[in-house]
Amino acid sequence: MSEMWINMGPQHPMTHGLWNLRVRIDGEVILDVDPEMGYLHRGIEKISEDRHYNEVITLMDRTCYVAGLSWEHLYILASEQALHIQPPERAQYLRVLCEEFQRIASHLMWYAAFVQDIGLMTPFLYGMRDRDLILDLFQSYTGARMTYEYMRVGGVRNDLPPGFTDQARKVLDWLGPRFDEYDRLCLGSDIFHKRCDNLGVLKANDCVRHGVTGPMLRSAGLRRDLRKDRPYAVYDQLDFEVARADTADVTGRYLVRMEEMRQSIRILRQVLDWLDHHPGPVLAHELPRWLGAPYAPVGREGYLLKRHYPKGVGFSSIEEPHGEAQAYVVNEGGEHPYRVKFRSPVFANVSAARQYLIGYRVADIPPIMGSVDVCVGEVDR
Amino acid sequence: MSNLTLYSVSFDLVDAVLSAIGSVLPAPLNAWITNADLITGLAVLVFAALLLAASMLNTIMLIWWERKLLGRFMDRRGAMHVGYAGLLQNFADGFKLFRKTTVRPREADPLGFVSGPTAYMVTSMILFGVLPISSGWNSGALPLSLLLALAIFSFAPLFIFVSAWSSNNKYSLMGGMRSAAQMIAYEVPLLLAVVAVVIVSGSFDLTTIVYEQQNYWFWGPLFVALLVFVAGMLAEMERIPFDLPEAEAELVEGWNTEYGGMLFAFFMLADYLRALIGSILVVLLFLGGWTMPTWVPSVATSFPLAGIFWFMLKTYLVFAVFIWIRASLPRVRTDQLLRVGWNRMIPLSLLSVFLAAALVTVKCLPVFGCVPSPGI
Repeated sequence: MSEMWINMGPQHPMTHGLWNLRVRIDGEVILDVDPEMGYLHRGIEKISEDRHYNEVITLMDRTCYVAGLSWEHLYILASEQALHIQPPERAQYLRVLCEEFQRIASHLMWYAAFVQDIGLMTPFLYGMRDRDLILDLFQSYTGARMTYEYMRVGGVRNDLPPGFTDQARKVLDWLGPRFDEYDRLCLGSDIFHKRCDNLGVLKANDCVRHGVTGPMLRSAGLRRDLRKDRPYAVYDQLDFEVARADTADVTGRYLVRMEEMRQSIRILRQVLDWLDHHPGPVLAHELPRWLGAPYAPVGREGYLLKRHYPKGVGFSSIEEPHGEAQAYVVNEGGEHPYRVKFRSPVFANVSAARQYLIGYRVADIPPIMGSVDVCVGEVDR
Repeated sequence: MSNLTLYSVSFDLVDAVLSAIGSVLPAPLNAWITNADLITGLAVLVFAALLLAASMLNTIMLIWWERKLLGRFMDRRGAMHVGYAGLLQNFADGFKLFRKTTVRPREADPLGFVSGPTAYMVTSMILFGVLPISSGWNSGALPLSLLLALAIFSFAPLFIFVSAWSSNNKYSLMGGMRSAAQMIAYEVPLLLAVVAVVIVSGSFDLTTIVYEQQNYWFWGPLFVALLVFVAGMLAEMERIPFDLPEAEAELVEGWNTEYGGMLFAFFMLADYLRALIGSILVVLLFLGGWTMPTWVPSVATSFPLAGIFWFMLKTYLVFAVFIWIRASLPRVRTDQLLRVGWNRMIPLSLLSVFLAAALVTVKCLPVFGCVPSPGI
């Protein structure tokens, strides 16, 4: 068979989203790849300039549909810095609770999709089943399973419902042994090692050169985690370790994500204990009035526009489930952000595809791209 | 009741119907319609129709069995809503596919596109005429029925490749290439594993092979051959872990990407027909077919259609193992599959042939007893 280009996408089971991976193949060997993004571009950054600070949160849930709360957290941290607002401590703990639960949910979603890519059907359903428990928890305190709109500039929308922490602990007790079961299903299989070892290798210096972050970087042996290196929220008060692997291949990324979920459970137990013993407000008191009032009263169109608020610039970077996400918010004194810019970790991770795909086989594309954990929503924004 | 055979059933049926019609007809027509040749001819047709209906029914039940069992492995219930416990779900799915328009891509080759799946299904159906299901429940004495069955079974790569190539789709073509490479690579160890059985039983006739196993099922002494045969069958049936011709992760749907409607149903049906045939062959060659050992109480073997009952039970249990494998293993890669096929399976199958020859020479094993016949 001579060389040919094939389009894997935009509608293809490998993509897990809406993007196109153009592959030049000779028989089964990959000669060249060309990832094409942009099929899901919604202009979230531009739309944000036209909305009140709290209204942007709605867009953040749509930015990454498997890690909505993490992106809310990212945006909120930047805009609070830009608006000079300090959230109460309990709200910060609640945000960490959200983010770590979201990390487990996102990694479970990754696990389900990834094992599907190498042909395992059963763990796919196990992963989705266990993710549902976390979505149930989200539903109980944010009211939604996917688009939460829970965080607010200056805190969070509401406190936890009574009995939540016990329920959450039950879920964590259930999840811990499940991760060992997942490991037995995958790592216990010789075929899994045959498929995933030494596959999609991206060494540490290549990762740094291409801006690859998150589990891919940690699987290459670098102990880089913003929760440790540049602690935000209350991560400096929590005890956990950074997951790391040395192999820089698909198996390494698997191990890193599994270990991250275990560490998230460890963090969540500390957070739940803290929340049990420290009641308090969850929204800052000294908020400017327009932050709580998205619509002008009838007949007073100028009411909201005439505020003068100290200008500022906010930058935040968090360890999102997929990698290091960054946000930049410019406050020019109005009630809309003047400019919002996000840095998507997956965009960098996918852009380096040429480094870790060429030379492998067509059948290796799904496991490799699965181990990258592509979320197209945040790539295209 | 022991003389009840598929042919006698259909002969009696045709005889009764034609005699009833003949009794009300005038003299010349009467004699013509109760003519023995006509009855025999019609009986063969009814026989074939019964066999076809039974095989189709079993294939559809096999899909149900897989859906339910796979569901249980995955902590869910499988089909539940159409019929009791979803028994009619597959019939509903079949009717849905039947009603759909068959879309043929403009650039596809019309002849290959339609004839490929049709031939694939028809060759799979022919096999049911060859396989004995119980004593007397086959199409007649075929001294080389095993050889014939395996020969028809190995037609498949040709038709798959024809339909893949004529689809004019890159994914289909890659799937077809993989399928052809895989099936040809695993044909060899499969046949060598069968040779081990033939050496011990001394016959190519499936009925004889089954009767040789009356007290001496071959799965124990020929365990290596059984392993090779099951692995080869998995590759021939294109099931996980060897389902890479239709690996949905990278090849969309492999060689049947462009197919929809009834032509897709042909592929689906033929896949499960071949899965059923694979399970049946395992039962016939290694698990004693419809016979049970003589130490089994006669109550369990003497009720009407006992042979068919045990045969179907064994077949479904063998298929349950295939389902179990599907539920718990990832998919291998083409080069790994071929390397395992040529480097591991063929030496193993040669070993199994050697073991079979040694067994025939030794004649008796401590646990399993003695080979019933002198062998070849």
